[in-house]
Amino acid sequence: MSAPRVGIIGIGQSEFRSRRDDSSYPDLVREAVAKAMTEAQLDFDDIEAIVYSLSPDAMVGIGNAERLGVDAVGGRGKRFLRINTGGATGISSVAAAYYHVAAGACDVVMTAGADKVGECGDSQTVLNKIWDPQYERPLPLGTITMLAMSGIRYAEKYGMTQEDMAQVVVKNRKHASLNPHAHLRKEVTVDEVMASRMISWPIKLMDCCPQSSGGGAMILASERYIKENRLDAVWITGVGHCSETYYIGDRMGNGYMADHADAFALKRSFERAYKMAGITDPRKQVDVAELYAPFSNTEYHAIEAAGLAGLGEAVAQVNEGRFSIGGEIPVNPSGGVLCTNAIAVTAMIRVAEVALQVSGRAGGHQVKGAKLGIASGNGGDHQFFGTMVVEA
Amino acid sequence: MALNRKTAVIGSAIFAPVTRQDRALEEILYELAQAALKDAGLTIDDIDGIVVASNDQFDGRAISIMAASGSVGGVDRDILSTPSAGEHAFVMGVLRIASGQYDTHLIVSWSPTEASSLSEAQRLGADPYFHRALPLDELSSNALQAAALAVAAPQAHQLAPRIAARNRANGAHAYPDAAKAPAGEAEIASSEAIRWPVRKGMVSEPITGAVALVIASEDFVDKHGIENPAWVRGMGWATEAGFLGDRELSKAPALEEAARRAYEEAGISDPRQSLDLVELTDVTPYQELLSYEALGLSKPEAWEADLGSGIFDRTGKVPINPSGGIVTLNPVFCTGLIRIAEAAGQVRGKAGRHQIKGARTALAHAASGFAMMYQTVLVLGAEREGVQA
Amino acid sequence: MELLKRQEDWKITYTHALGEVASWFFVQIRDNAKIFGRRCGDTGRVLVPPRAFSDQTLEPTTEWVEVGPGGKIETFTIVYEPFNNLPEPPYAFGYVLLDGADTALGGYFRGVDLADPAAAAEKLKIGTRVVTKFADKDKRKGDMLDFWFELA
Repeated sequence: MSAPRVGIIGIGQSEFRSRRDDSSYPDLVREAVAKAMTEAQLDFDDIEAIVYSLSPDAMVGIGNAERLGVDAVGGRGKRFLRINTGGATGISSVAAAYYHVAAGACDVVMTAGADKVGECGDSQTVLNKIWDPQYERPLPLGTITMLAMSGIRYAEKYGMTQEDMAQVVVKNRKHASLNPHAHLRKEVTVDEVMASRMISWPIKLMDCCPQSSGGGAMILASERYIKENRLDAVWITGVGHCSETYYIGDRMGNGYMADHADAFALKRSFERAYKMAGITDPRKQVDVAELYAPFSNTEYHAIEAAGLAGLGEAVAQVNEGRFSIGGEIPVNPSGGVLCTNAIAVTAMIRVAEVALQVSGRAGGHQVKGAKLGIASGNGGDHQFFGTMVVEA
Repeated sequence: MALNRKTAVIGSAIFAPVTRQDRALEEILYELAQAALKDAGLTIDDIDGIVVASNDQFDGRAISIMAASGSVGGVDRDILSTPSAGEHAFVMGVLRIASGQYDTHLIVSWSPTEASSLSEAQRLGADPYFHRALPLDELSSNALQAAALAVAAPQAHQLAPRIAARNRANGAHAYPDAAKAPAGEAEIASSEAIRWPVRKGMVSEPITGAVALVIASEDFVDKHGIENPAWVRGMGWATEAGFLGDRELSKAPALEEAARRAYEEAGISDPRQSLDLVELTDVTPYQELLSYEALGLSKPEAWEADLGSGIFDRTGKVPINPSGGIVTLNPVFCTGLIRIAEAAGQVRGKAGRHQIKGARTALAHAASGFAMMYQTVLVLGAEREGVQA
Repeated sequence: MELLKRQEDWKITYTHALGEVASWFFVQIRDNAKIFGRRCGDTGRVLVPPRAFSDQTLEPTTEWVEVGPGGKIETFTIVYEPFNNLPEPPYAFGYVLLDGADTALGGYFRGVDLADPAAAAEKLKIGTRVVTKFADKDKRKGDMLDFWFELA
């Protein structure tokens, strides 16, 4: 069966900050929803179903916090469900909304959510509880240490240095300085990154994403609805998901399927999205990419998993400026996850930013002439990966 | 509007109660998924995608679905998860197959009892702004709803013990090894009021349980010549508002909406005529009564006569909860998906001891959250299309 | 205006069943200071820590295989930042492929001076031989912290 076309007709995102003491959790969802509804020029009656985007409950400190968000998204009496694939939640939610329309269940669907990571005093404690209680949780694992260990393996395999990691930060902070929604917007130098304090070798403070508060919302519609109502839209043409083993120690040793250095399932997920979108040569066909990379080192394997560079080639190409705004395929022109991370919606913002780029509405960080963009999200312990292709 | 492609349930496995202590959660899920695949006559290689659902606070794991990636077969495979409700995983799977991008899905949900208190875990679902300080767990919310219903329909108090007695008798027949002993109306009516008006004999203690279903597209069913599929004929789901104070608790508008959509898709105008059985969420018998009205099975003024007539008994025309329902087996988070698995099992002719002879069309009603906040209705049929007569 | 805040914490205790396989593994560590893996019946790979099934093949594992105590480092990190409810920094931990195993086992690295991050990282680099050390018998509880790795 060929895939029905599904369009993006509304986008709303907060200006992300460390704390939003002026807004409760549902107020923050509402803020993004209101923006998306205004942009799409719709009434709540037009929204037929809701996909609620929310990663671990413990991060907002409310069990099944999506229930508290029902009114914020105008969900009463409507079809409503929540998606969670950890850090990939946002893109998985857009995908779930896509399936609502592609299934023929509805014409107009909204996905929305928010996070207040700044209010969780123990985010690495919460994130330690993602591991199995038998074997891996007793270790002092968190998302930072988990991805530091990926960086160690990547460096060993391909020769990445800490200065190379800093180059990603310099690039993304520069991009973020052009994006009013980004949380960390101050430009930095390689020296400043290198001088920032060591958190988890080889990751230093400035190699890390911030803890952000803010919301995101997107409205998707069927091709028929978009044409009948003469709406502006960009189109989701490829969707993919793929997963890896739960156990980090299984991504090394002998005979493994995925190397913890790389992003095996992200690559597989992109292969699925590309196949669906008919993309055969991403290096030539992709104009812009928003790739989920919460720590500087992980942008390298994400670029390679997306097929934008060969294995081990991303480092040199970032250094050459190939993935900067003005370069051949800008990666994370918004500043990316490295500059803004409100976990529940982070991966949704990747899709939203790509949609803005291919519609020519990205503002100060617009990639000139972008017509086809890709987005990704990573969740769990580098385990669940979602990908999407968006076209003008 | 009808979905773009038809989907059927072709396999299932219900593990409830899980009493053995020699399995970790991952091992239970592995055996469960393998059992469901075996029931479908498939292997994991036949599966395109997986949707799972669990509750972090019940499991004591953040992003608790991570446990499923290896155990149910997610490595190098596509997984989504719907932590809002177990039944939402089924909805998501059906939508994904209808989109044309998948031919098969494995749907899995589980509910352990490893927390010191599930009630405490549920209370974390009350917002910290206004309601966390109240003793608001699911049972309390159900009792509040029961009290509200009994003001609108006072006969509910008298009928609730009768319903619980029927479901417990059904449970003792369906699952004699697992169900507690059946109890009569009088015994239930005089049992301790644990959250007035809900009495001890009307509800079941939480147990550990897990359920998996295999679903497939019509193309897959045809190509592989799969026998006795249970077709998804209609599917509706909807939510109530988040705050109990914003709701008219004696009504179930979200269930009415979910049922309206499911019946419309299935071409059902008179559910009592069309349905051969119903598996509904008897989280307490008061919620069962509320569902009768919303599902178009019986109006409040007819409750007493209908219950007296035996139409909803196991041997009646429209048996309700031949499995014994939730008062028999209560793995809290996955009771909704179990209703779907039970109804599909009936249509497939594989329900076991409690098989309703000749069941062709079954309704599954799932509900989750405080006072049945999330409502889901599935109509499953032996016929792929045509009006359900 | 005055903006109020409220502090909440979650107090729920979970008693997780470890299952037969993990139980046997931890009893061997506690009672005999030995580490065992399970062999995948399909591929012959030895999974450490032991799993009842391989998530790559979905086949049950079939036999116990003693592994270690020597091994080599597969990855590591050294933590210098304090996190609530995690140990006081600095500390080093990571994954080791024990001799005879095909997957890596997590644990702390001890006995390396962590004061200078770069120097410590050089000592712990991938491929470095290590040996498993166990706590004294009366201190072992049957968990992942009963053992650690030291440079060989």
